[in-house]
Amino acid sequence: MEGKKISRREAISTAGKIAITAVITGVVAGVGGYLAGTSVAPPKTVTKTVTKTVTTSVAPPTPKVELTVFSLWSGKEEENFLKALRAFTDETGIAVKHVPQTTEGLMIGLPTQFAAEASVADVVVAPWPAWIRELGKEGHIIEVTDLIDPSKYPPSYVKLVTSDGKIYAAPFKAWAKPGFWYKKSFFKKHGLTPPKTWSEFLDLLEKLKKIPGIEAPIASGDSVGWPLSDVTEAFIIGRGSPDLQRDLIAGKVTFTDPKVRAVFEDLVDLLKKGYFSVPDEWTAQIDKLWAEKYGIYFMGNWMTTMPQVKDVKDLGFFPFPETKGAVAGGDWVIVPKYTKHPEEAKKLLKFLAGPKGQEIMVRAGGFLATNVDVPAEAYTPADKAVVDFLKTVEVVPDLDDAIGGEFQRTFWDQLKLLWTRPEMLDDVLETLAEVHTKAVKKKS
Amino acid sequence: MRRNITPLLFLFPALILLAIFVFYPTIATIWTSFLSWRGWKSTGFAGLDNYIEVLSRSSIINLHRSLLKGPPLGALPHNIIWVVIHVPLSMFLGLLLAVLLRRVRGGFLIKSVIFLGMVIPMVVGGILLRFIYDEHAGVVNAMLRAIGLGWMARTWTAYPDTALFALIFGSVWIWTGFCMIVYSAGLEGIPEELYEAARIDGASGFQIFRHITIPMLKPATMTNLMMTVLWDLKIFDIVYVATFGGPGRATTVLALEMYLDLFFKIPSNPGTAAAIATLLTLITLAFAVYMVRVAMVRR
Repeated sequence: MEGKKISRREAISTAGKIAITAVITGVVAGVGGYLAGTSVAPPKTVTKTVTKTVTTSVAPPTPKVELTVFSLWSGKEEENFLKALRAFTDETGIAVKHVPQTTEGLMIGLPTQFAAEASVADVVVAPWPAWIRELGKEGHIIEVTDLIDPSKYPPSYVKLVTSDGKIYAAPFKAWAKPGFWYKKSFFKKHGLTPPKTWSEFLDLLEKLKKIPGIEAPIASGDSVGWPLSDVTEAFIIGRGSPDLQRDLIAGKVTFTDPKVRAVFEDLVDLLKKGYFSVPDEWTAQIDKLWAEKYGIYFMGNWMTTMPQVKDVKDLGFFPFPETKGAVAGGDWVIVPKYTKHPEEAKKLLKFLAGPKGQEIMVRAGGFLATNVDVPAEAYTPADKAVVDFLKTVEVVPDLDDAIGGEFQRTFWDQLKLLWTRPEMLDDVLETLAEVHTKAVKKKS
Repeated sequence: MRRNITPLLFLFPALILLAIFVFYPTIATIWTSFLSWRGWKSTGFAGLDNYIEVLSRSSIINLHRSLLKGPPLGALPHNIIWVVIHVPLSMFLGLLLAVLLRRVRGGFLIKSVIFLGMVIPMVVGGILLRFIYDEHAGVVNAMLRAIGLGWMARTWTAYPDTALFALIFGSVWIWTGFCMIVYSAGLEGIPEELYEAARIDGASGFQIFRHITIPMLKPATMTNLMMTVLWDLKIFDIVYVATFGGPGRATTVLALEMYLDLFFKIPSNPGTAAAIATLLTLITLAFAVYMVRVAMVRR
């Protein structure tokens, strides 16, 4: 019996030591394993996403090359994108496989592959110009200066992906964050009208708050954090000015500046009055908007393609009251230097950046073209309304996308804090100012 | 001679794997932490610069905050709070459940259900925590409403003052199953004769638990203690999924800061990421060595 007892204790003790060894080695091997792996062998890319191959419907020569394209689009947006890819295949005979990515997957996975001087994707569509510029400066993507005609695009869309006179990406999609979306039938049922002035906006929020069943007048989206930064930027532009947004991007002012502070005080005032919901997953919030738990939701023009919107004809939007500007951004096409099919990849880049590829996307809806040769009649009514609105205001870049990096993450994170603890405004602004100053300094 | 070489030959394949996947990456990480980087390119020797930068960051140790002032205290203090709260709670609940369910008919079924928290991937656990603490759909708030405390209902992970504790308490649910199973194994190893002798000598239930069960469970306690502390020190996945270290960095931990330095900075900073990894390793190593020495001395 005694011998048996000692044996068990020894077994447990030994098991503990084995476990410790395993855990320690696991921790140590973390970063090192990754870094070491890059020099030993290219990392194996694992994707759980569904891949869709576009094949030719006509009868061009048997495709010898199949390009792999990465983008963040899935669902309806992917369906539309596949239409453009299919047209490219029909025209060139080059097959294309689209692999949808998550934000983290693309933002993290691609530089990881590039560090190993490899790339699964031949062509990538990405919405982060700062990230693209950095990849260009590090020599991981092909310069496209000679592949596109910059005069065919809004200058800012080219400038954002230009560094030291070299253009690193072709503008593809333009998107805008025009204002607040609402359910028309809900507004009609409660006798509500879209506000035009700030005081009308405040009246609307108060009316919405009093409607039984409403959890909060304004839905707050959460994910990694961009929905909160979108609505905050609308405040910066609407309650401040488009120049204030530009100055923040350029680092001419920072978050402790009285002008910026005044904007945030307006925002905090609404937060304290309970007009904004607690942040929750951004697509689930569209469901709740449609279920009439919220009255309005600030979102980009891709709202018209969201499956949670049961009837797009019942979806309306109104601009941020009295605003003189709106954020518009884009998606750019890049070609990794490590592609095995550079010539075919360049052809696809030119097709997507050209009027033909973009017109297909525009006609499918939820897409604003960057190429000026795309005809106006190609737009759906909902998208045309957004385009028409954008013609009446100054278009400015997205603040956190333009600066990127640690500032972007901190901006998202601090806004999450502000949403639940508006009384911490001073702390939030100081933290943002500190990171913002460092980021714009590094950028310049 | 052959007898001496044979065991080494058997060890050889394992040693090669360890060399490639453990020793080399470990040394590479430490070396990386002493280099300066521009993106993924090393630009020279940096000495202790990366360590100084990391340790002077408010996201690692926030000198302007305290428990009284509220979060964020910094990643390192957050890791320590994890250890201070999560370890005793998980171990106490694990022991309690193991003892209570020891002689219960069908106890293994209840144990299996409790152990489910350990079976699910931690990423799924993180997502579950988000749902559990949701203001409108979460079970925690449903329970609060059921007992008349509906005024307390809120999305617990969305507020800086409750997010860290919400994650820790949620993880107790996930980790208690492990402690319970280790204690259950330990309980099975205690000879029944000891209990019988104690009863004959007139010992009460509490005395038996205090003087027989607890001392006999020391090896199991050591295992639980070591495993739980190490798990808390390297916690990442639950935090990443449930809060991403927010709001306002109120829940950030060392492993997450390491990840952010490597993947979320433009340009990436492998030097500081490796410095955090090395610091994390030193902390876990120091604790593990101490615990192993204590265990060996007791034996």
